[in-house]
Amino acid sequence: MARTGNRNIQAKLVLLGDMGTGKTSLVLRFVKGQFFDYQESTIGAAFFTQILSLNEATVKFDIWDTAGQERYHSLAPMYYRGAAAAVIVYDITSMDSFGRAKKWVEELQRQGNPNMVMVLVGNKADLEATRKVVTEEGEQYAKENGMFFMESSAKTAQNVNEIFYEIAKRLAKASPSRPTGMKLHNGTQEGGRRLFCCSG
Amino acid sequence: MERKRTDEFEPGPVPPARPVDRFGFVKQEENNPSQGSIKSRFVNEQEREERRIRKWRKMIGVGGSDWKHYVRRKPHVVLRRIRKGIPDCLRGLVWQLISGSRDLLLMNPGVYEQLVIYETSASELDIIRDISRTFPSHVFFQQRHGPGQRSLYNVLKAYSVYDRDVGYVQGMGFLAGLLLLYMSEEDAFWLLVALLKGAVHAPMEGLYLVGLPLVQQYLFQFEQLVREHLPKLGEHFTQEMINPSMYASQWFITVFSYSFPFHLALRIWDVFLYEGVIIVFQVGLALLKYCHDDLIKLPFEKLIHALRNFPEDAMNPDVLLPMAHSIKVSKLLEELKQEYKKKNEKPIQRAESSASKVTQKQLSARSPAFEESTQPAERSWKQTRLLSRNSRKSRSGRC
Ligand SMILES: Nc1nc2c(ncn2[C@@H]2O[C@H](COP(=O)(O)OP(=O)(O)OP(=O)(O)O)[C@@H](O)[C@H]2O)c(=O)[nH]1
Ligand SMILES: [Mg+2]
Repeated sequence: MARTGNRNIQAKLVLLGDMGTGKTSLVLRFVKGQFFDYQESTIGAAFFTQILSLNEATVKFDIWDTAGQERYHSLAPMYYRGAAAAVIVYDITSMDSFGRAKKWVEELQRQGNPNMVMVLVGNKADLEATRKVVTEEGEQYAKENGMFFMESSAKTAQNVNEIFYEIAKRLAKASPSRPTGMKLHNGTQEGGRRLFCCSG
Repeated sequence: MERKRTDEFEPGPVPPARPVDRFGFVKQEENNPSQGSIKSRFVNEQEREERRIRKWRKMIGVGGSDWKHYVRRKPHVVLRRIRKGIPDCLRGLVWQLISGSRDLLLMNPGVYEQLVIYETSASELDIIRDISRTFPSHVFFQQRHGPGQRSLYNVLKAYSVYDRDVGYVQGMGFLAGLLLLYMSEEDAFWLLVALLKGAVHAPMEGLYLVGLPLVQQYLFQFEQLVREHLPKLGEHFTQEMINPSMYASQWFITVFSYSFPFHLALRIWDVFLYEGVIIVFQVGLALLKYCHDDLIKLPFEKLIHALRNFPEDAMNPDVLLPMAHSIKVSKLLEELKQEYKKKNEKPIQRAESSASKVTQKQLSARSPAFEESTQPAERSWKQTRLLSRNSRKSRSGRC
């Protein structure tokens, strides 16, 4: 599957963000190329996998899509603990969801893995007419916090693959080229499995 | 943003008619195999069903008048029949009888209208955002601002006012949605109250309170039960770092009404309302047991996938439920509860203050507004009729 001389990287990725911002829709677009106007709310969390091949490496994502409502907060740590990447999603038509995204960023900075690749995503970019969060605001906040930023639409597929490609690239860059069979667990009991595991 | 009240909305267009299954869910492309076999055995099945309904009717009496008497006289017969499945056309009525919600309704005339019409709740926006995302493939809930979505909104909003500590939590919509397919709004509301406040069994509200204390407790208990009953699989889970929260939290939060085949969910609910949450543990264990030999070979990713997509044959209620009942858990469950409580003395106090059974007094104490309006105004009576016009019929059964 991997191209010659390539490394295989397995990375745990978590999606966080307010309810209804489009986390599940982004993943479904990326993994299955589907979109539903009425996507069922996520209860607890959902799990997906997807493989991306770059020139320099093949990245296999283990994706945890969490439930967005504040009340489910207590379940989130087990999904972001040990994650190699986090996608924090807000809805460009909701200022509240942007505020919530900032809270997630702060929490990850406090509690998350310090090398985590963090991405801020302003989703529903197709809803320009009802936009509440201007692009620059998201961009600025991401920059200040050393995150990668993108506006996307799960509905039109705009920038969806790009988000995951960019994450894959950063992971490939960050993950040390190690000899075959090398695995890096970070050893946390819950959810801390397989931060990266590389085989040559 | 969206406006607040659903009743300001004109209903959206009625979605085009598409083939639905016998419960009203829009069919997936591939034909459900169990559906085919149902057809071939149709005639036989129908006769059996009719006999069953007659027995049930006798047991219930007119509008439920004989029910309590029958339960007292022949509890084992009732239990056996419920485990075999309540006839679909009597489900709504029987659910209200066994959950204790009927009594609540009768004790609290007018309260529901009050909650729906006059009170406002901080959760309204959250509820609206989720309305079209609850059973989106069911015809009753598909039409935007149609009768299904309106009743769903009303029930959830009423509950969020009635218990402001719980408010609205994602997942409750699936409970309410399931109930609304079998009863009126007001009946569904009181059944929700009966469950969350614990009219008959331990209150469920801890599943939805801040910190989800009861979810945490159930997951702890479930994990230990797996170790006890399926030690090899328990060990495999540990090795693969599978935590029950990764697959079982929605089993508890929605009592299998989310992402499980509907015909199975209904059968589980029949038992759940009569026997309590123990059946959720038992069905969970039975699913694992049924797939044990496959699960035990799978690595992490495949395991997670398998735990969220059980094969069709595992979800046949006539196989799964007998298996579930055969797994004895009650004693260990209680011990584990004590053990968990000891470990977490503080955080779960409210969730399991198990004496919090509902009484008339408690109900009216919650919302002072009720005390003023003892005689329901004519206007509100009319509005209530409007709100629940589609489902009165379920009161007296549908067959
Ligand atoms: N117009 C538009 N709608 C979107 C987009 N992404 C998602 N939606 C819609 O927004 C609603 C919520 O999307 P989900 O993907 O379920 O949101 P979520 O973040 O997973 O929500 P929770 O599971 O509740 O946390 C759905 O009805 C989607 O159809 C988008 O890019 N554009
Ligand atoms: Mg979701």
